[in-house]
Amino acid sequence: MKKYLRIYWPFAANQIKSNFVYKGRFYLFILRKFLGMFIYYYLWMAIYASASSGELGGFSRSEMILYVFMSYTISDMVMVGISSEIGYDVTDGSVAMSLTKPIDYRTRLVFKSLGVMIYRAVVPTLFIWIGLEIYKVCKLGMPVTNPMTMTATLLSVLFSFFIYIFFDYCFGMLAFVTTYIFGMNIIKNATLNFLTGRLIPISFFPTALQKIFSFLPFTAMTYVPVMIYLGKYSGMQVLEQLGKQALWVVVLYLFGSFLWKKIERRIVILGG
Amino acid sequence: MSENLIELNNVCKEFVTAKHYPGFKGAVKGLFSKETVTKTAVDDISFAIQEGEMVGYIGSNGAGKSTTIKMMSGILTPTSGSCVVNGLEPYRERKKNARNIGVVFGQRTQLWWDLPLGETYTVLKEIYEVSKNDFEERMAFFNDVLNLQEFMHSTVRTLSLGQRMRADLAAALLHNPKVLYLDEPTIGLDVVVKDRIRQAIREINQNYNTTVILTTHDLNDIEELCQRIIIIDAGKKIYDATLDQLKCDYGDSCSVLFEWKQNLDSNQEDMLQTLGGQLVLHKQEKGIQVCFSKKECSVAEVIAKIMGIAEVKDVQIKETELTDIVKRIYQGSEGKTV
Ligand SMILES: Nc1ncnc2c1ncn2[C@@H]1O[C@H](COP(=O)(O)OP(=O)(O)OP(=O)(O)O)[C@@H](O)[C@H]1O
Ligand SMILES: [Mg+2]
Repeated sequence: MKKYLRIYWPFAANQIKSNFVYKGRFYLFILRKFLGMFIYYYLWMAIYASASSGELGGFSRSEMILYVFMSYTISDMVMVGISSEIGYDVTDGSVAMSLTKPIDYRTRLVFKSLGVMIYRAVVPTLFIWIGLEIYKVCKLGMPVTNPMTMTATLLSVLFSFFIYIFFDYCFGMLAFVTTYIFGMNIIKNATLNFLTGRLIPISFFPTALQKIFSFLPFTAMTYVPVMIYLGKYSGMQVLEQLGKQALWVVVLYLFGSFLWKKIERRIVILGG
Repeated sequence: MSENLIELNNVCKEFVTAKHYPGFKGAVKGLFSKETVTKTAVDDISFAIQEGEMVGYIGSNGAGKSTTIKMMSGILTPTSGSCVVNGLEPYRERKKNARNIGVVFGQRTQLWWDLPLGETYTVLKEIYEVSKNDFEERMAFFNDVLNLQEFMHSTVRTLSLGQRMRADLAAALLHNPKVLYLDEPTIGLDVVVKDRIRQAIREINQNYNTTVILTTHDLNDIEELCQRIIIIDAGKKIYDATLDQLKCDYGDSCSVLFEWKQNLDSNQEDMLQTLGGQLVLHKQEKGIQVCFSKKECSVAEVIAKIMGIAEVKDVQIKETELTDIVKRIYQGSEGKTV
């Protein structure tokens, strides 16, 4: 395990470092994040202002405020894609490298993303969360999140990270089949915005759709941790959701390994 | 005879690609057609290489060199035939095989683009479980021969081609592999860096008996490093022998250039003409070029004959260079296959 970390940790550490180094990118990034979040916030506030009842889709106005900021920060932290990197590696042939060295391609990519996630957890997520907590208590008059809920939320976020990255790895395997992975990525992201509940909470969808969603891994990518944080699940339900997330981690991991095995045989390295 | 470290038996590699049609209409047509084109890049190649050998693997552009190297390093799976490296089939036991080999692809780095170079080596040290002592010793050697120090802290992305190539070579050798594959390791390098790279390869081969397979278009690399040469063309092996043998087989033609002290009179001209049967003469402005086969007469004989006719100011002997030989072989095989 220690050896494992010694091999792969530098890839994560390097991402953290280089993310901090590029100052211009850093400020631009923050600006973009805040802009996105606030547009989204004002949109929902407008909807609530024009609604006849104070509750929509099971969310009160205050809960919706929390939902907006939480789903935004969590999906931002958790959805660190690797499929476009796989795309580049395949088109320029550098996947070859991971085949001539006894190093695991996926694990290396996971650690790189882990580095990005750690960076984003600090900048800006942590600050937004603290701000949100203060806002929640002082402005919305809600109680402080209890440590149990917070722990469960964090655990759920971690699961979400792995679900998304293993999913994206499977998706990235498409790069071996089609060279048009980049276009497909755009479609994927747009679809995920819906399916993960980032755009609209899942509870706004018709029940039939919600049923279908519960059999897909997407709600486990953002919606679940946010709902845990909002206290929408009972203790038992929290455990159930975490268990389901863990299951998805395993299933997607195995599916990724299976795909790689299939593809490894047919690998054609371009160029040279 | 010692065991063969590398053995290829009737290896073939075919690439199947979708057929492309020209133009926009063609692109649309391509979407719906299932037609494919099969390209045989490596066609029934067999050879065996022993431990410690340094082999030059050459051929014209598109001959199938890189494809062979990729199969031997486990990146590609042969369409048919078997390839065994150090008792393993590289493409079946890729991870295991990877521990025995080092690979440098001249056109593409094997280093991680976004890591600082120094960190790359520490990661490699962990991956290959190189002991601290070995690591320090080898890094000292690489620093010494390849001068890595000056860019050790730069990110790989920022290295120049020559720096990157040196870094790549060190990375390929850090775990002291049994086999080293070099696919055009001197492409685009300046003379000094080329020399450094060659020196490093030579020393590694001498010190650790590392087997080296080298593809290159710079035949000086071959001449300086390899004892044996394998030539392929259009995926087929067309020559496989030691370098000395090659020179013996093809390097028999020789030319000597004479410069006269004074212009020849007609009598001397006539005497020269009588030599024409055995030697090929090319008149030049102030002298004459004499071409002949070393199998038929020696350089000394030719010089004696010419000097017997007229006084000579300067003599230049030109042996056939490897480049000429290889050119002849490439051209020869073109004639055959077309
Ligand atoms: N991925 C691929 N798909 C289709 N054809 C390929 C592929 N890779 C190589 N080829 C074809 O196989 C042949 C051999 O290619 P290879 O790269 O082995 O040549 P090479 O001997 O290394 O040439 P060079 O000296 O130019 O590097 C070429 O005709 C090339 O077009
Ligand atoms: Mg090549």
